[in-house]
Amino acid sequence: MNTFISTLITGTANGAIFALAALGLVIVWRGAGVVNFAQMGQAMFTTYIASNLIASGNSYWLAFIVALISGSLLGMIIDLLIMRPLAHKKSSSATKTLAGTIPVIASLGILAILQALAGIFWAGEERGFPTPVNSFYFKNGDGTLPFSAFNLFVIGVVLIVLLSLTYFFTQTGAGLGMRAAALNPEVARLSGIKVSRMRTLSWAISGAAGSLAGLLITPSTNLSPNTLDLILIIAFTAAVVGGLDSPLGAVIGGLILGIGIALVTTYGSPENVFLAILFVLLAVQLIRPNGILGGKQVRRG
Amino acid sequence: MDKYKNIWRKNLIKTLTLGVFLFLLSFTFEPYNQGQLALVLMLFIGVLSLTVLTGASGQISLGQGALMAVGGYSSASLITHLGASIWIGFLVAFFATAIFGLILGTAAARVSGPYLAGTTLVIALALPSVANRFESVLGGDVGLIVDFGTPPTWISNLIEVGYEQWQLWVVLPVALTALFFISNLMATRAGRSWQAVRDDEIGAAVSGIPVARTKVIVFVVSSAIAGLGGALYGLRGLVGPSVYPVSLSLTLLTAAILGGVGSISGAFIGTLIVVFLPDLIDWAISGLAVSEQLSNYLPALLTGFLLLATIIINPAGVMGAGHRKKH
Amino acid sequence: MKNLMVSDLVTDYGHVRALDGVSFIANSGEITTVIGANGAGKSTLLRTISGLEKAKSGTISWGDLLITNLAPEEIVRLGVAHVPEGHAVIPTFSVLENIEMGALFRKRKNSTDVKVAISEVLDLFPRLAERVKQSAGSLSGGERQMLAISRALVSRPELLLLDEPSLGLAPLVVEQIIQSINQLCRSTGLTVLLVEQNANTALAVADHGVLLALGKVVSDQPAAKMRADSALRTAYLGY
Repeated sequence: MNTFISTLITGTANGAIFALAALGLVIVWRGAGVVNFAQMGQAMFTTYIASNLIASGNSYWLAFIVALISGSLLGMIIDLLIMRPLAHKKSSSATKTLAGTIPVIASLGILAILQALAGIFWAGEERGFPTPVNSFYFKNGDGTLPFSAFNLFVIGVVLIVLLSLTYFFTQTGAGLGMRAAALNPEVARLSGIKVSRMRTLSWAISGAAGSLAGLLITPSTNLSPNTLDLILIIAFTAAVVGGLDSPLGAVIGGLILGIGIALVTTYGSPENVFLAILFVLLAVQLIRPNGILGGKQVRRG
Repeated sequence: MDKYKNIWRKNLIKTLTLGVFLFLLSFTFEPYNQGQLALVLMLFIGVLSLTVLTGASGQISLGQGALMAVGGYSSASLITHLGASIWIGFLVAFFATAIFGLILGTAAARVSGPYLAGTTLVIALALPSVANRFESVLGGDVGLIVDFGTPPTWISNLIEVGYEQWQLWVVLPVALTALFFISNLMATRAGRSWQAVRDDEIGAAVSGIPVARTKVIVFVVSSAIAGLGGALYGLRGLVGPSVYPVSLSLTLLTAAILGGVGSISGAFIGTLIVVFLPDLIDWAISGLAVSEQLSNYLPALLTGFLLLATIIINPAGVMGAGHRKKH
Repeated sequence: MKNLMVSDLVTDYGHVRALDGVSFIANSGEITTVIGANGAGKSTLLRTISGLEKAKSGTISWGDLLITNLAPEEIVRLGVAHVPEGHAVIPTFSVLENIEMGALFRKRKNSTDVKVAISEVLDLFPRLAERVKQSAGSLSGGERQMLAISRALVSRPELLLLDEPSLGLAPLVVEQIIQSINQLCRSTGLTVLLVEQNANTALAVADHGVLLALGKVVSDQPAAKMRADSALRTAYLGY
C-alpha cells in the first residue's frame, strides 16, 4: 500500500513538473503558433548555468533566480533573432507549403546548437543537480512516510506558478493583451495591442516555465546536454493530450503522464515508459485529436 | 502518355550515367573513401525518403531513422535467423517498412505539422524499448550482427574486390534503383497529384483526387524507401538501437533541408554535406590546438547553424529556388 | 479641425489591384459614406487607412499627420479606430474583456478616463451593459456589432472607420446601430467613415457620399444629391 501511495505522490510531483513544461509549450503555441522543440534544450542550458553558479559557491536560491531570468531572456532572444524574422518571411511563395513546418525545423536547429554549446562549455558527462530541501522520505518513528520534502516543495512551487499565471492571464492588462494577440491578431492590432511584443512576452514566459521545469526535474534525471529530451517528449505528449491550445488541459495532461509513468515504472518496467507514451500519443490523436479539453476549432498548422 | 515515356527514358539515361560514373570513380578511391561513398549512398536513400514525404506533402518527419530501423531489423532478422541472402533482405525490408508505413500513414493522415513532427520523434525514441521487448528476435540493447558478406565466387574469381568496394557495389545498384523510382514518381502523374494535394487540399479534392488516400500512399512510398536505406545502413556491421538513434533522423532531416526540400539533386548535395562535414572540420582544425570537447561537438554545432541559416536565408534550400521555378 | 485626406491611393490585394488611385476627403465631424458593389474595394480602403494593408502608392493624411503605411497599433494611437467587417469580437472573451481590450493601450496613463469611456459605451448600448459578464460568443449578431463598435469607441477615437455594420443583421437592428452612430457623431463631433453596401441606409444619415467601382472613385458628392441621382444608382448599384 505504501508503495502505491509513494508512487502516486512521486507521480504527482513529476506530473507537476511535466505540467509546467507542457504549459510552456502551450503558451508559445498559442502566442506565436510554434511548437518549440528547443524548449527543454533552453532549460538544459539554463540549468547548467545554475549548476555552475552553485559549483562556484553561490547559494541554490541565487542560482534558481538567475536560471529563471536567463530562461526568459533566452526565450526572448530566440524570438527576436530567429522566430520573428521567420514569421515576416512566411509570405514568400516558395515557402508556402512549408509555412507550418519551418518554425519546427528552426527550433530543432536551435536545439542542436544549444546542446552542442553545452557540450563544448560544460563537457558531455552527466552531473547531478542539488535540491533545496531534503529529497529523502520523511522519517516517522521506525518507518518512513511515502514522500519527501522535495516532493512537497515541487508540488508547492508548481501550484504557486500555476496560480500566478492564471492571475496574470485573466486579471491583468498584459495578460488580456497576450490572449487577444493569440486569439485574433488582427483585432488585437486594431485595438492598439503590439502583437509582436506580446509574442516575445510569450516566449519569455514559456522560457522561464521551461527553465523552472529543468531546475526541478534534474535532481532526478541528472544533467547532460541530452537528458531533458525525454522531458520534452513527455511535455509534448501532455500538451497534445490536453489539447495543445488549452493551458488547463496541459496541466491535466502533465499530471496524467506523471502518474501514469510512475505507475508503469513501479508496476511494469521502466523500459516500457516510451511505449506507454507512444501509445497515449497515438491513441489521443486517433480518438480525440483535439485533446481532452481542446475546442472544436480546426487545428492550426 | 508519350510525355511520360520520355521522362522515363531521360531518367534512365541520367541514372545509368551516374551509376557508371560512380562505379568507375570508385576504382580510383582508397578503401576508406569507397566506404564513405557507400555511406553517402545509403544515407542518400534515407534522405530521398524524406524528400518524397516533404516534397510531396509539405510534412516533415523526425522519425525517418526509426523507419530505417524497421527496414534494418526486418532484413537483419531474416538474415540472422533464417540465413536469407542480403538481396532477399532488401526486398523484405522494402515491403515490411511499406506495411509499417501504411499503418503509420493511416494515423498520420489525420495529423499534420507539429503534431506529426512530435509523434514521429516519439516513435524514434521508443525504438530501443521495442528492441528490448522482442529481445529474442531483435537482439535487445545489442542488436543483430550482420554485414555485407563477401562477393560471390564468379566475381572474386574475376577480380579482387575489397570489403569496402564490395559494400559500394551492393549499395550502388540499390541506390540507383531507388533514385530511378523516385525521380519518375515525382515527375509523373502520381507525383503531380501528390503536389496538388500538398498545395491545395480542397482544390485537389474538387478536381477528383482522393486526398486522404493520396496522403497515405505518400507515407507508404516514403517508408518503403527509408526501409530500403535502413537495411543497407545496418549491413555496415550492426542492426541495433545505437545504429538508428534520434540523431540519425535529425541528420536525414538536416540533409533534406540543406539541399532543398523536395529536390532530388538537393537531397544528394545535402547528404554529401552531412557526411563530409565532420571530416572537413577535422581537417580544418587539425593544425590548431583545439580541446577534445570542442572538436567533438563542433560538427553538431555547425550543422545546427547551417540548418538555421538555410531556413532563415533561403528556406527552399541550396537547390530549392531554381528547382521550384521549373515547375 | 482634422480631416482625413486620401490621395491617389493604390493598394494591391494579392495579385488584384483593389484600389486604383482613390482620392477623397472625409470632413471633420461629418459622416462620410463609401458605397459600391461587392468587390469595389471598400473594405480594402478602410484596411489601408487603418494600416492592415500596405499601400503601394499614394498618401493618407489625418489632420497634419501623414499616416500612410504606419502599423495599425500606431494608427489607433493617433485617434483612428477601425471596426472591421463581420462583427469582429473575440468570442471566448467576456463582453467586458472585449471592451477593455480596446482601451488597453491607454490604461496605464489614463486609467480613470478609461473607466469613464467604458461606462459611456455601456450607456450608449444598454443591451451590452446587461451582459458584461457573458461571453461574446453568446451574443446575437446585432449585439456583437455593438460590442465591436464599443471596443473601438473606448480608444477615444476622433475618426471611426466602420466596415459594413449592417452585414447580416435585421433591418430594425441596423437602424438602431446606425442611429447610435449618428447621434454620437452629432453630439461629440466624431468623424465617421462608413462603408456600406446598403446604400439607402448609409446615404440617409451621411453628409457626404463616395461611390467606388472597381477600385476607382466614380462619384463624390453630398449624400443628399447622391441619393437623388437615380441614373447613378441604376448604373452602379443596380436598383
